[in-house]
Amino acid sequence: MTTEITPVIPVPERAARVFTALAAVATAGTALTAWTWTADFPGDLTFYGSPAGLQWLTLTGGLITAVLTLARYGIPGLRWTSPAGGNNGILLAALGTAAVSWFAIIAIAVDLGGLANLEPGGWLAGLTSLLAVTGALGLPLDRRTADSLGKPNYWWLLAGVVGYAVHHLITRTLRLAKIERKLPPARELPSWAEVLLIIAAFAVGLFAITFGIDTEYGELFTGYLILAGFTVAALAKTGLLQRLRALTVKHRPVATGAAFSAAAAFPFTQTSDQYTSVAANILIFATVALGLNIVVGLAGLLDLGYVAFLGVGAYAAALVSGSPASPIHVAFPFWAAALTGAAAAMVFGVLIGAPTLRLRGDYLAIVTLGFGEIFRITMNNLNGTTGPNVTNGSNGIPRIPDLQILGFDLGKKHLVGGIELGRFSNYYLLMLIITAVVVLVFARVGNSRIGRAWVAIREDETAAEAMGINGFRLKLLAFALGACLAGLAGTVQAHVSYTVTPDQYTFAEALPPNSAFLLAAVILGGMGTISGPLVGATLLFLIPKKLEFLSNYQLLAFGIALIILMRIRPEGLIANRRNQLEFHEPVIPAQSAPEDAVPLTKAGA
Amino acid sequence: MHDLPQQLANGLILGALYGLVAIGYTMVYGIVQLINFAHGEIFMVGGFGALTAYLALPGGTTLWLAVPLMLIAGILVSTLVAVGAERFAYRPLRSAPRLAPLITAIGLSIVLQQLVFSFYPDAKKARVFPKIPGDPFELASVTIQRSDIFLIIAAPICMLILGWFVARTRSGRAMQATSQDPDTAKLMGIDTDRVIVMAFAIGAAFAAVAAVAYGLRTGQVDFRMGFILGLKAFTAAVLGGIGNIYGAMLGGLALGLAEGLATAYIQHIPGMHLFGGGAWKDVWAFVLLIVVLLVRPQGLLGERVADRA
Repeated sequence: MTTEITPVIPVPERAARVFTALAAVATAGTALTAWTWTADFPGDLTFYGSPAGLQWLTLTGGLITAVLTLARYGIPGLRWTSPAGGNNGILLAALGTAAVSWFAIIAIAVDLGGLANLEPGGWLAGLTSLLAVTGALGLPLDRRTADSLGKPNYWWLLAGVVGYAVHHLITRTLRLAKIERKLPPARELPSWAEVLLIIAAFAVGLFAITFGIDTEYGELFTGYLILAGFTVAALAKTGLLQRLRALTVKHRPVATGAAFSAAAAFPFTQTSDQYTSVAANILIFATVALGLNIVVGLAGLLDLGYVAFLGVGAYAAALVSGSPASPIHVAFPFWAAALTGAAAAMVFGVLIGAPTLRLRGDYLAIVTLGFGEIFRITMNNLNGTTGPNVTNGSNGIPRIPDLQILGFDLGKKHLVGGIELGRFSNYYLLMLIITAVVVLVFARVGNSRIGRAWVAIREDETAAEAMGINGFRLKLLAFALGACLAGLAGTVQAHVSYTVTPDQYTFAEALPPNSAFLLAAVILGGMGTISGPLVGATLLFLIPKKLEFLSNYQLLAFGIALIILMRIRPEGLIANRRNQLEFHEPVIPAQSAPEDAVPLTKAGA
Repeated sequence: MHDLPQQLANGLILGALYGLVAIGYTMVYGIVQLINFAHGEIFMVGGFGALTAYLALPGGTTLWLAVPLMLIAGILVSTLVAVGAERFAYRPLRSAPRLAPLITAIGLSIVLQQLVFSFYPDAKKARVFPKIPGDPFELASVTIQRSDIFLIIAAPICMLILGWFVARTRSGRAMQATSQDPDTAKLMGIDTDRVIVMAFAIGAAFAAVAAVAYGLRTGQVDFRMGFILGLKAFTAAVLGGIGNIYGAMLGGLALGLAEGLATAYIQHIPGMHLFGGGAWKDVWAFVLLIVVLLVRPQGLLGERVADRA
């Protein structure tokens, strides 16, 4: 692939730079003006001098663009934001700001019925953000040369005509796609400074994620997603993310600790239980997705009924929880209930896995799909009329009492350090411990002899067995371990949601967790990585939750996204290095050289 | 046990339905080693295609005319969808790692379900499908619904045509060759892409026939009907030995019989009186699948094949 460094709009570089910086600052400034005249638009954008709602996003985007532009000026103190050099990051940041500003304008026009509802400030935001994009297009950008473009990729037509047009514009007209810059070696820092940097980065991350979870209306969440997507892409282009990644790899224990501290700090940033319940459910979903990643990502076994193991754990915990609706009148302490749930799920994992894992992988997929469905049907049937009364049928087991751990009642409010932690905060923190256990298991097993054997089986089972690996035993181990972790998460889920019903555990439903969404979280995030499923699960949980206007077409969009993702980025958002190489293996070209052009040598003949 | 003949008849009719859908799984799997998860939805789409044709006909059209037209419409819709899916979703992934096409198939199955759910008029609930009116036939102690006559006639005809096609025609033999060894088949001048499209198309056509039979039998079609039926049909394909078209039909019949008999008689086994009846029939079908995988994983008619590396 050949590249060139040229501006899209041919203007002097210096002029473009000044222009971009000024326009970006001006865009940020427009956030201080009124965008609309009425307080009817969510967030109330009518004040001069104080940004609100979507305006915060434009402000942030404008400032990031300005900082990145100034960093390329060589202004000391800012250069660290752009270690790889190049101006593509500036363009992405400017695009993100413009996208979020125009999204706000369109949202105002649609919500309030007409563009007349915009105040001059709104128009100004739209205009200045576009000027910043224009300025960024005048900067020398890393582009592909015109003759190095391959055939157009009509796959994008699946994303609609607009999707294709955008793809065409970016990759073929502007020639901007997929160019990576080499990072210069990092400056040596004392290790305490590096640790501080990691902590600062995770604090920013906590702030960003908290902002996303706390968004109160769909417009703000959409804007947040737009800006977050562009900003992450921009920072990846400038090399800042790679720098950070290198740091976290170097100080892995610190990074892990910081990540968990940031996650544990979340309930302390909340004033009510409204969003901690969302966060607790995200954690459950993410933990189960991580468990599935052991099965799918490491061992390469496609499990389509994984949510049933969560259900087994949840039902087991509910039955021994002392709920008045449970036919077994016992109340286990949490540790015993957790063990029961995990053990029950593991037993089912072995029962399902033992006959099928001896066969080709495809059988496992269909058997697990069947198991997921059968689990739901069976739980429905064990209601006393069509079967023995165990589960109360479709009514489920309600009124599951709150957990008491060492005398600590998770259902009550507690004051910790002057901040009140409600019921969901308690469960969130409990779940975080379980997430930590699963992360630990994943990391330790993944890097062990067993984990390497799983990867070998995934890549080529025949070759792995020839190397002396017992394929069946190890696959069964992966499957049972995955089931066991899901069961463990299920025991907490039963208590968080008060009630377990069969319909919580389906193959595909509009709300996660269900088997299809779990699989999608793993694939979207990245198979075989730890952070991938966590990110994927968070996105897949928040998007349906926050964007209720999507609700009718949510599953449809989900299915289309799955198909497109498999075609375009099968390795997921956060790619495992090995997966990335595997999925983008260059296809060996057919012998296209004309025969007479290659003289036959003796060796060739 | 005096109603045994009746139960056998019910089981066989249900089994023929499973068998027709199972052929789609088995043909595609035999040639490209892909479990086409979306096949259940191809079946469902065929049912809705047939329903559309019925609704488009003027009221009072005799079923002698309506049923063939519905059949044609269903086959058309199913085949188009299946061939389109093959062309645009599966073919680009043919050299991708195994998980990719499988996940695409799941995505496709969700998309098809949701398209019908969202855009077919009134498809949020089950839609009424015509039934063949009139009294059921009585043969000795066996009662057969009139609507089932369609399936009893159509299934054997379909099997005969398919058997003739695969064994006697050039295309059929190309199909056999491709399933035995795609690379060598290609070297012998067979257009394997065409063969794959053909396998998808035939499977879809059979699924559409099954969908019409299903609609006539149950009097309704709904957007979810492909999921469980697809699962059962796949079980039938495995039961008969996946890759073998006669095995698929045999597996379907066996599964239908087992399901029918389990529904009727399990409750008479001492200690099992709560586990019979329609509520448990899917569970028993699944248990049968597990048992078959344990004792005869290659299926009834399948041969043990070495992994093709």
